[in-house]
Amino acid sequence: MTETTEFDAVVVGAGPAGAAAAFELARAGRSVALVERGPFPGSKNMYGGVVYGRILDTLIPRWWEEMPVQRWVTRRQTMLMTGHQALTIDYRTDTWGRPPYNGATAYRPDFDSWLADKAVQQGATLLCSTTVTGLLVEGGRTVGVRTDRPDGDLRAGVVIAADGVNSFLAKEAGLYGEVSADNYTVGVKETIALPREVIDERFAVRGDHGVDIEIIGCTGEVPGGGFLYTNADTVAVGLVLSLPALAAGGSRPEELLAALKAHPAVAPLVEGGEVKEYSAHVIPEAGYDMMPELVGDGLLVAGDAAAMCLAAGVWLEGVNFAIGSGAAAGRAAHAALRSGDTTAAGLAGYRTRLESSFVLADHRKLREAPHLVMGDLAQRQLPGLACDVAEAVFQVTNPDPKPGLVRIARKQIARHGLKLPTVARETIRALRAYG
Amino acid sequence: MSEASIAACVKWVDLHPGVDPATALPEPSAHSWGFSEADRAALEVALRLAEARGTEAVVVCAGPLEARRCLAELAASGPARAVLVEHDHQSGPGTSGVVLAGVLGPRHLDVDLVVCGDMSNGRGSGSVPAVVAHHLGFAQALGLIELDPGPGTLRAVRRLDGARREVVSVDGPAVLSVEGSVAALRRAPLGAATSAAMTSEAVEVVRTDPHHAPERPTRVVPWRPPPRAVPAPHEADAFSRIVALTGAMADHSPPRSVEGTPEMAAELILEQLRTWGYLARDGEQT
Repeated sequence: MTETTEFDAVVVGAGPAGAAAAFELARAGRSVALVERGPFPGSKNMYGGVVYGRILDTLIPRWWEEMPVQRWVTRRQTMLMTGHQALTIDYRTDTWGRPPYNGATAYRPDFDSWLADKAVQQGATLLCSTTVTGLLVEGGRTVGVRTDRPDGDLRAGVVIAADGVNSFLAKEAGLYGEVSADNYTVGVKETIALPREVIDERFAVRGDHGVDIEIIGCTGEVPGGGFLYTNADTVAVGLVLSLPALAAGGSRPEELLAALKAHPAVAPLVEGGEVKEYSAHVIPEAGYDMMPELVGDGLLVAGDAAAMCLAAGVWLEGVNFAIGSGAAAGRAAHAALRSGDTTAAGLAGYRTRLESSFVLADHRKLREAPHLVMGDLAQRQLPGLACDVAEAVFQVTNPDPKPGLVRIARKQIARHGLKLPTVARETIRALRAYG
Repeated sequence: MSEASIAACVKWVDLHPGVDPATALPEPSAHSWGFSEADRAALEVALRLAEARGTEAVVVCAGPLEARRCLAELAASGPARAVLVEHDHQSGPGTSGVVLAGVLGPRHLDVDLVVCGDMSNGRGSGSVPAVVAHHLGFAQALGLIELDPGPGTLRAVRRLDGARREVVSVDGPAVLSVEGSVAALRRAPLGAATSAAMTSEAVEVVRTDPHHAPERPTRVVPWRPPPRAVPAPHEADAFSRIVALTGAMADHSPPRSVEGTPEMAAELILEQLRTWGYLARDGEQT
């Protein structure tokens, strides 16, 4: 049997970033190994939101006809919550339920396998159940990877590390500086089975249309947020929690999640369902400010390994940024291989490509947003203030006359211990952060 | 075909099927098809036996063409050959064993030792090892939990009911089935695994003749005695007729213990069955 252990490029991790990188390299005619530690792509992955597929336009024409979708998100809600109140901003449009669509919920094992299979169809070699244990370095330059298999060295002109949030390869290469737990959250999620028609009825959707709800104010003393979205016959409900606050406090993620499921605004949506799965994953939350060096000699970093996840409050996106960065890494690696220079200088085009695309443009523009979202005002003050203002506005107190909106706002701001200059300053900060 | 003396038979199954909450029936998964731990242990045992005896191991699977890629990955672990016998594994219980026996026999692979997993995840009948042994005329040593792969007579430990064990010696052609805990399949070297991921050409595909479908075992059902005609009761009132029909007030023969030869015990049982009407007496029709 002929044995092959040398490729133009090795991509570590067959998630969306790795699959996109392998897709671009294989499409360009390069030999590329896509190495995955799980038994199949997506076997260990989870996420808590929506796949925004338009980035696939450049890779797979009419991708929506074959992408494994649970539901197309046509209804998007942001919910501000206290222990007994909830104020929801609800937007829906059927436009998002037609090509080219906007976002979709999907099961990651299905989605990741589908995308990796596209790379294989282009000529990539998918190697599953193989764990990369380290980099092969010669003369300070990365020339391949070590794996846990016998005779397990895999040599390549370029290595693309798409090995997820804890990227041991980027850390081994010294591309990360000091790692702070402040930059990370942990996501916990329950997938709850409900009959399809029950989901349709509870969430007021039909057919393959679905709902994505982002929640703030549901995590008690721990900074974070919540989410709830519909699949075909399951709903996913979960939390994203600040890692250091969780470690320092006495709260446990499953207790906070149970409290969210018992909240009067959430309980009617999930009650009677059967929990099919509980999962947890670390998330790179701080975006631009925590990104590592993206390029080394013979090495590129993409996806969550490069902290490309965007956690900016109203915009919670990860898969599209992973695909965008992976595709850029694949193109940059091909260009470097063509020019015969795979040093950091030869691979520098990767960063240029990212900066000229939405990936780094959005991250740079929104670099303050993650701090704002996890800050004290958004976490501790805003949900209660907004809910109390709404309650005062909608509550009829006859025979007293209506107090007027400005008076209600001023009264509630004061009641929450805030001062108008503080509110004005934070509002300006938020406007600047969101550009 | 060249001779191979030890074969591992594996079954391509859904390792993690979902369960339909409405019907409780398994739902096939898209990603988790492969080979059970018991089948992987069988291959490892076959490889160790082949090494100990200086011969070659071959891995054989009866299944659809979709199994070829998985079989190529399994074959990267070291067997000399991998053979996929194209077969519709939904075609009925026992047919896989018949198909496998046809390939393992002297006209094809000519093996003298076959190792199977003791059970698959595929809700099968568990009959493949026995069917293969029957068709090849081999001895059987099934449900092994320990096995010494050294040269010479094979010694193995077999699980019995009641936490008991049986040590068996296997000499000559045999079919073994092993539990998954017997051995962990060795990791395939990177080069072989990569080559298997690039192409499954290393797997030989054998197509069975569609005009000679494998013999299907007769359907086995419990034996139910035919109904026995009894004369209509002649009693005057309904209560008496019911009593007569059901025998509720009749004397019943008490249980009794007898000692004797097996032949005598069999004759007593048959006589009792005749007394109860389940068997006809000589000259009588049921």
